Amino acid sequence: MTLPDMSTQRIAGLARANAILTARNRLTFIYAVILPLLPLGLLIVGDNKSAGAGANAVITALLMAALFPVYANLLSQFVTRRDELVLKRLRTGESTDADIIVSLALPGLVVALATSALVVPIAVALGQHSPLNPLLYALTVLVTLLLFVAFACCTAAWTRNAEAAQLTSMPVIVLVILGQVATAFPANVRHWTDLTPGAAITDLVRVSWFGFKTGSADRTLALSDTWAAAGQPLLILTAWAVLATILARRSMRWEPRS
Amino acid sequence: MSTLSADHVDIEVRDLRRVYGTGEKAFEAVRGIDLVVDAGTIVALLGTNGAGKTSALEVVEGLARPTAGQVRVLGMDPVTDRAEVRRRTGVLLQTSGFPADLTVAETLRMWASTMTSTRPDADVLAELDLGGRADVRVRSLSGGELRRLDLACTLLGDPEVVLLDEPTTGLDPQSRRRVWDLIAALRDRGRSVLLTTHYLEEAEELADRVAIMHAGRIVREGTPAQLGADQASTIRFQGAAALVGLNDLPGAITVATHSGTTTVHTHDLQRTLHALLGQAAQCDVRLSNLEARNASLESVFLAIASGNSDPDGSPSSVEGATR
Repeated sequence: MTLPDMSTQRIAGLARANAILTARNRLTFIYAVILPLLPLGLLIVGDNKSAGAGANAVITALLMAALFPVYANLLSQFVTRRDELVLKRLRTGESTDADIIVSLALPGLVVALATSALVVPIAVALGQHSPLNPLLYALTVLVTLLLFVAFACCTAAWTRNAEAAQLTSMPVIVLVILGQVATAFPANVRHWTDLTPGAAITDLVRVSWFGFKTGSADRTLALSDTWAAAGQPLLILTAWAVLATILARRSMRWEPRS
Repeated sequence: MSTLSADHVDIEVRDLRRVYGTGEKAFEAVRGIDLVVDAGTIVALLGTNGAGKTSALEVVEGLARPTAGQVRVLGMDPVTDRAEVRRRTGVLLQTSGFPADLTVAETLRMWASTMTSTRPDADVLAELDLGGRADVRVRSLSGGELRRLDLACTLLGDPEVVLLDEPTTGLDPQSRRRVWDLIAALRDRGRSVLLTTHYLEEAEELADRVAIMHAGRIVREGTPAQLGADQASTIRFQGAAALVGLNDLPGAITVATHSGTTTVHTHDLQRTLHALLGQAAQCDVRLSNLEARNASLESVFLAIASGNSDPDGSPSSVEGATR
């Protein structure tokens, strides 16, 4: 993989084709565009005034945006195009490997970034505080999306075909869900589940947007405290992103398994 | 090893080896081949399935690194000088790969967006007779149309070097003829073409030079005429029963009649045929289904494929035309 060797012209052209393909497949489109927006409905129904409920809705929206338009979409596009020999064909041209991956991920990344941004005015309009540390929130979103691009590439490497993706994607989905539901687990279990990317993302959103201390649902952190409180989860999330990127680069496959 | 690349050589392959796997499972698909494509010529790599043609071509295309040996395209290494080589090369893979839900026009547009410079889409579509199909989805194209779309992408940037892996496999005769005309036109414009095929007539029709590959080695190489030169020509006809002196035809090597059809092999087609026609006139016999043809690649190829050639294919055992 030659990462620095990218061209915006090539990426734009390929991403445009990928966006057309995503829009043309109704199921892909629903998963990629509609699904991430659904959790925002949690803000409208039920106990929507409490900060705890707000945090849950925002975190779920962000995780859905990472899982569906980015992770699942990139995984399925990568495997389908690989099976169709589209990737091999592209690699005979001027496109670099980096062009191909970025252009496959780009339409989903745009949707995920838009969701992460849209969630701010929607949450505020529905009575939530605006993010306490917007920069940290934005950083959380960026590292999260990068991580899920790398996760998708790793998963694609050991996914035999498009059908198999339903099973091969389970470990990543478990890593995400485990971290989010673990807030209800006893402390000695949480000690371990905190190491999952899902938990790191959950903590980072709670700290950066809502100013929650660990285990609390009250805005107790000051802006100046948020960076220190975010240190460990940010480190964990970054470590996952680095690990997944290294794994992806080592295991990348561009042709169907024979 | 020295690099010879002179100005007039567009593709040069030296002692290329390609091994799949490691240890006991290792399989050497390409076992040390040499190949040169001069500028403005067409070279056909001919062989049965599994001979190693695609494995060799993938190294020339820069999709795979050689296990050993050297490849130069336009004087450059297709892997390390990738960007420059790709800009000036057009590749057609053995199996076409395009997203099924894009239209022909969208596919060409996507492909064009990845290129430094392109010819107008409409020109290429017209050239490949796809003008009326621009808004049709790839999944609805026939096999021949899909192949022509693939070729349109290959030729979109007017490449100096064109690498075609079985360009006409699966095409109907009409589409095949059209693709042949296009490939010949490339040479006429001074482009260099390296193609693989298992169609003898394709190699015979198009290629300036033919390299016959068998079990990972090039076992014969030369112009189609050279390759056929030491092979017998063939005369076939029906109605031999009324002829006399059939076994005394001058120049004939073998004469055999089977199911009413007589086959004569000869090294001197004109002399043998002249004598045969003379005999027929004398005996007032009408020879039906008469055909006479020069030695073709077919006979060379069949001899190799059936294992009549040294299975090791070592150069010392190769007879006939070599470079």
